[in-house]
Amino acid sequence: MAIGLTLTYLTTKVPNFAYGSFVTIGIYTALSFYSLYGISPYGALPVAFLVGCLSSVGMYLGILRTLARRGSSLVALMIATLAIDIAFVGIFGIYSDYLYRAYHIIYATNFPQLPGDFSLLGVPGIAFVAPCSLALITLGLWTLLTKTKFGVAMRASIENPSLARVLGINVEAVYVFAWMLAGGFAAMSGAYYSLWLPGGIDVGSKLIVEIFASSVLGGLASIYGAALGGVIIGASEILITTAGVDVFGSSVGIYQKGIPLVFMIITLLVLPQGLISLKVGMAIRFIRTLRSFRLFKYLHLRGS
Amino acid sequence: MLSVPSVVIFGIDVVTFSVDLLIIYAIYLVVSLTLNLEAGYSGIPNFGKAMFVAGGAAVAGSVSGRLSAFIVGISYSGDYSNSAPAIINRLNAALSLNPLLSVEILLLGVALAAGIGAALGYLASYPAIRLREDYLGMLLLASAQFFQIFLRSYPPVIGGVQGIEIPDFFGWANTGPGARDVVILGVVTLFAVSVYVYFERIARSPLGRTLRAIRDNEVASRALGKDDVAIRKRVIIVASAISGMAGALLTFYVESVGPDTWSRQDWTFPFWVIIILGGAANNSGVAVGAFTYAFILKTTDRAKFLLQGILPSTTFNYLQYLTFASLLVLVLALRPEGIFPEKPSLTLKRQTVATIIETKANAPEQKSDSSMKENS
Repeated sequence: MAIGLTLTYLTTKVPNFAYGSFVTIGIYTALSFYSLYGISPYGALPVAFLVGCLSSVGMYLGILRTLARRGSSLVALMIATLAIDIAFVGIFGIYSDYLYRAYHIIYATNFPQLPGDFSLLGVPGIAFVAPCSLALITLGLWTLLTKTKFGVAMRASIENPSLARVLGINVEAVYVFAWMLAGGFAAMSGAYYSLWLPGGIDVGSKLIVEIFASSVLGGLASIYGAALGGVIIGASEILITTAGVDVFGSSVGIYQKGIPLVFMIITLLVLPQGLISLKVGMAIRFIRTLRSFRLFKYLHLRGS
Repeated sequence: MLSVPSVVIFGIDVVTFSVDLLIIYAIYLVVSLTLNLEAGYSGIPNFGKAMFVAGGAAVAGSVSGRLSAFIVGISYSGDYSNSAPAIINRLNAALSLNPLLSVEILLLGVALAAGIGAALGYLASYPAIRLREDYLGMLLLASAQFFQIFLRSYPPVIGGVQGIEIPDFFGWANTGPGARDVVILGVVTLFAVSVYVYFERIARSPLGRTLRAIRDNEVASRALGKDDVAIRKRVIIVASAISGMAGALLTFYVESVGPDTWSRQDWTFPFWVIIILGGAANNSGVAVGAFTYAFILKTTDRAKFLLQGILPSTTFNYLQYLTFASLLVLVLALRPEGIFPEKPSLTLKRQTVATIIETKANAPEQKSDSSMKENS
């Protein structure tokens, strides 16, 4: 999930408050497929991806780019994404009311996790599929960004849009592509989510804490950082809560959602560039030390 | 005996409706004014407004009920939030006979709400003065989300998921039908007017101009010796304290407080709609924006009941979200400065300005000199 947020942030430099709603799009696609046709959420995956892509691109082209071209400020764009998030909650609400009235699906606004998962070695299949897809997506993105011409063009337009434009890269097309991928990934993760946890119309909006925390922890400027951040946040939320329940009793379990927030605050105050900056910074420092050492030796030789 | 006449048009009691509308308007106005001070004048994008209002409402709700039960001497077993439904009628009866105590607890609740609002504001100001706009927006939004989760999952504050009932501290005013609401309207109007006057005075004072200077050019204002960090911190604390008070008053009006009220959709987003619609950094614009919002909200709420057979009420709620969201995006696209754009602050009386212009016209050789003085 965080990968997509980072992608959109990289291209437009606006934190997308509506991002969680793309996850909800996936959840609702899965729900519709399951309850109307009895297809498991895995089957809904491609459709979810497509719907997510379309709505994400629609949001970017229809609203954000229009506003940005009219010279809206950063805060104005943030408010616009907030408005889109609210609109999405409204749309899902109306859709689930429609599901209820047209198909008598009573639990459409708040429903339990969807069945249809296979099980492997006694463990639900999603426990294998989700990490594998994360790895695949990260690997795929890495290949795209480093091995293909389009990926290099993408990186160029992210790093320096005006220079990329001079070189004849269609920066706008690149941004649209990034938004498309972002929406698609979010909707896909929504379909996975529906297999594991109960869904509802504002699930995505509520997930925003975890999504922001993952992106910020990994470093908002790095896609790989986001994948790393997502894993760390997810794991620590579960592990720390379990450990906390063991030590202090079950009453601390309710603070589970606070863990990503704490991570986010600490990261923002201590390491605003995220974890990914740590590695790069250390490498630079290491090289500098080496250089100064060589310089010192050189001077020393000259002196003697 | 005060009783409110009822005028019924189209099956709607117009008087009750407008009293309710005006109370909600006053509370919305106060919160949007505080957001305007933060976002409009000082450039602090507070996307976590719900947290500060909820903080005030929660502390007022949780303390006032317990305290009044303790003072009146009604004992209950277990936690207050569980036993409130059983004792609430006895509490209300006792409180309506004792106006002084009611008012005291009311004031205490509002003061506590201001305190907790200021404390939350102080906490929020720590990152606010260090982070960039986008990071700060994310952090505040996430914090407000967590605060709501905290209220929902920690029963001792306001009873967890189902919320908490609190006694009626305006019971003494209920001498006739609708009289209680009129008294509350008086209280919130007084509150809103004083907040408005206070903020308008801030906006017109040297401090108001300093705030705009910091918003528009932080480095330049720092170079002129303005302590932007301290000023921002104070702005957040004052705005949050007043938001907390507004939350407390709302709680006392509706006589209950629950966690689901304080969502982003209902308590952060509307105020952004209001200040964008009315015009950021313009208090009178915000007053108009708040009225527009409250009016649309309340009339559509009414329509919801009338149309219950045709459209389910939940669908109507979602349609409201959709309407306000599209309204906001439209205003951002077509008229980003709002209905009433920000005005340059007038520091001199209009007459004085006219005299200066006159003297300038009479003495053309000193024109450049005097215009420089005006700018400085």
